[in-house]
Amino acid sequence: MIDAADRAAMAETVRAAIADADGNAAVDEVLRKLGWLEMLDAEPADAIEIVFGALGATQRAATALDDVVVSALGAKPRADLAVLLPRFAAWDPPGRIDADELHAQGLATARAASASEILVVCGAASEPWAVTIRTTSAEVCAVRGIDPDAGFHAVRVQGTAAAAARLDPAAWRSAVALGRRALAHQIAGASRAMLDLACAHAKERLQFGRPIARFQAVRHRLADALVAVEALEATLTAAREEPGCDTAALAKAVAGRAARAVAAHCQQVLAGIGFTAEHPFHRFLKRTLALEGLFGSADEIVRDVGRQLLATRRVPTLIEL
Amino acid sequence: MHDSRPAAGLAEYRAELHRWLDAHHEELAPCFAPPGTLDDHIAQMQRVKRILFDAGWMQCGWPERVGGRGGSPMLRTELGAAIAGRDLTDPGLFSLIEVLAPTLIDFAPQELAAEVVPRLLSGAELWCQGFSEPDSGSDLASLRCRAVPGGDARTASTWVINGQKVWTSLAQYSDRCVLLTRTGPADSRHRGITAFFVDMKTPGITVRPLEMINGEHEFAEVFFDDVVVPADRMLGDLNGGWAVAMSILPYERSSCFWQRIAYLYRRLQRLVEVAQVDDRAAEVVGNAFLELHALRARSRATQHRLAATGTLGAETSIDKLLVATAEQTTYDAARRLLTGMVELDDSAAGELWRSEYLYSRAATIYGGTAEVQRNIVARRLLGLGSDE
Repeated sequence: MIDAADRAAMAETVRAAIADADGNAAVDEVLRKLGWLEMLDAEPADAIEIVFGALGATQRAATALDDVVVSALGAKPRADLAVLLPRFAAWDPPGRIDADELHAQGLATARAASASEILVVCGAASEPWAVTIRTTSAEVCAVRGIDPDAGFHAVRVQGTAAAAARLDPAAWRSAVALGRRALAHQIAGASRAMLDLACAHAKERLQFGRPIARFQAVRHRLADALVAVEALEATLTAAREEPGCDTAALAKAVAGRAARAVAAHCQQVLAGIGFTAEHPFHRFLKRTLALEGLFGSADEIVRDVGRQLLATRRVPTLIEL
Repeated sequence: MHDSRPAAGLAEYRAELHRWLDAHHEELAPCFAPPGTLDDHIAQMQRVKRILFDAGWMQCGWPERVGGRGGSPMLRTELGAAIAGRDLTDPGLFSLIEVLAPTLIDFAPQELAAEVVPRLLSGAELWCQGFSEPDSGSDLASLRCRAVPGGDARTASTWVINGQKVWTSLAQYSDRCVLLTRTGPADSRHRGITAFFVDMKTPGITVRPLEMINGEHEFAEVFFDDVVVPADRMLGDLNGGWAVAMSILPYERSSCFWQRIAYLYRRLQRLVEVAQVDDRAAEVVGNAFLELHALRARSRATQHRLAATGTLGAETSIDKLLVATAEQTTYDAARRLLTGMVELDDSAAGELWRSEYLYSRAATIYGGTAEVQRNIVARRLLGLGSDE
């Protein structure tokens, strides 16, 4: 594990490099040159925290999520291999096998448009199978949606499942958990960026002869936004130090809730300028909305967690001092 | 004061502590029928402290010069959380130790601290904290309760105190009071405050308990009429009382919170044991759990920072806001899922949920209101400048 000071320095390097990349397609290349795959292999927690935090803060898109999921599934990540992500707001394996026939439908990053193969997990989460298919045999369609720059693709697969192999259920759970942590880091980076934009605006924007940052109504909204961001960062630290499905699920749910609260407060403070396309705020707002649905929305995760508490009649503490 | 050793050994300590608590369960369990009166809870707390003191647990994490056994303050936190999580004592009452004993250790003459801190830890005494006044709530630096020296301020052997305190927890049960007084000019704000350690039996002190929203009398008004206090009971420097008041913050915002969190987990546990199972309940308990987990994660990081650096600052206003919100969300969850329990149920369970639900409404008020915390976050953490 890398110590905190080195991690911060690396985060700054990665952030600057990503911010300088010429377009989203170049971000993947920048990450490759920075040794992303080697770092993911050697120090996955650090790699995910640094890269996804930087992606969130810089509002750039990459296909690194594919590598995170592929490696958690026990395969070797490579630029030529995409992964089929669950449908929006869900986290079950995106495919099913019906009489040797594979049917799958889900989301993918921009990698699905260029990679030659797609890794598809199918069946129930408790009894999953994995199969790698040729991209040419899938229907891959770019999604514009609320955030065309995010690079999402809708993928539909119908074909033979003859090559499918049993997958350890723990591998799928681990893929969901690591995917969630990656996304939560990205959302955290974006949330802090929104808050920075709103604070800068509040200090500069003059109304009634003074910066609006002097008004308590404005200050309290920004304070609440910081509380949400810092609570999210704490749950990410907890997920890192006590890795597991539960801490990752909670981090992702807290991320969704935090992003909504932060966006609402910051948009209100940014007011008119935050409603325009010329101010960067809207991109963070849209990106966090899109990311929140990957590997389960906050609402769905919260309900799922609540069902577990009620089914076991037990409230676990998950982390200790 | 702080121990910079990492939390190594904490897990072993916790395991050993829980084994011991399991083995002594019957001895420690409350001997009154729930929900119990405040008298019952105070007696129970003092009894538990005595048992834990005799077994050596209460001394863990306190400095040896006040009769402690040394070690990281996190040992205290673990103990408080363990007994709160088992409903052996009320964490709000028990964790008052954390805002009182460190004050004595850091600011009292050594002999005095060595004499009285063990009495607090062992349950032989109860102390209270005389800070707030009728006209000084959030604006503590405006306090007016006056201390006048019997002669020159530097050489006087006694001080005479006149004024009033309010919201003084457990004043009617207390043997001593950590009291903030005005010793500078009326407008000297935080520069003219001095702290004293006052015996509550001193002539001239009148305590009038206040009935709270839940029917209990945890708080009191305390009146001081020509109360004579020896000069050697001054805590810290003359006009240095603000530093005394601020010094409790690191413990209030770390150890006390962790104990409160353990208790809130226990309450959510009680709720999921009896709640009906449906999607609405799943959403409500899931939400409360989410907030408690985020709070616990935050508080954990805060305690480790305190252990590593020995200090905490304005960033703990975030912890304070998270505790307040999570506490109210937990009791809101109970009220929503246990239909009619808080409003109409006269059983022991109803009394308990009702009393605690009502008490939880104060979470955004005591210890610095949520608004004051947001002001601190805005000025100190977000750098938004003054609001004037």
